[in-house]
Amino acid sequence: MASTVKYVRVPPPSANIAEARKRVFEFFKTACRSIPTIMEIYTLDDVVTPTKLRSTITSEFRKNAHVTNPQVIDMLLIKGTEELSNIVEHAKQRHHIIGQYVLSREDSNQETKDEGTSDFLKSFYKGNYV
Amino acid sequence: MASVSATCIGFGTSFELSVRARSQRIGKSWSLVSWGRSSGFRTSGLQICAAKPETLEKVNGIVRKQLALSPETELTPQTKFTELGADSLDTVEIVMGLEEEFDISVEEENSENITTIQEAADLIDKLVDKKA
Repeated sequence: MASTVKYVRVPPPSANIAEARKRVFEFFKTACRSIPTIMEIYTLDDVVTPTKLRSTITSEFRKNAHVTNPQVIDMLLIKGTEELSNIVEHAKQRHHIIGQYVLSREDSNQETKDEGTSDFLKSFYKGNYV
Repeated sequence: MASVSATCIGFGTSFELSVRARSQRIGKSWSLVSWGRSSGFRTSGLQICAAKPETLEKVNGIVRKQLALSPETELTPQTKFTELGADSLDTVEIVMGLEEEFDISVEEENSENITTIQEAADLIDKLVDKKA
């Protein structure tokens, strides 16, 4: 079932933050270079432009800009690589991509299921320690 | 350029030296003139400027859009990306945007050196020429 490499070896951990930084930029470039493929696989031509996808990728990277520990950066890179390979090998579907990467956060707001419920119920669903 | 060569000729002291200096200076002035011709709008002939104006225009447009600059911000070829408020991630993103726009592939060691708009345009032209 796995069309990619079966035994993906985890690369050795970055020695310092400079090497982690280099890996981050490498991954960023890989992600940006696979944008045309992604647009083609999921036929996103009428929904989003490559420029907008690139800025979405940038903002995802910026969310973790405060991290300084090289091991944490490595872990985030592994997760990111996994996500990217899932997308590229068509393991996701169009609505996943659109919902996660095309729609802005204000648009989706993830409230479509609970419209009209009270605030109490919303906090109740979320958890005990609101 | 001609005035520079004239003053250099004036410096030669002995007759043989001045003849040699004259011929050398003339040689240098010729090469300077040819540099000036090929670079077009560059007046300082020593700077080898290979970027075409339309490449620079496109680069400017992409940088403006990427960094969301106001129309008043002046973009000279020497402007560094960091001056415009771009951090390293922004710089890489701009390079990727240029890669997509011009359909080129910037290698690892080249991308580290791009700090100004001029360098980006030069690199683009070099890669486009190599591809063609």
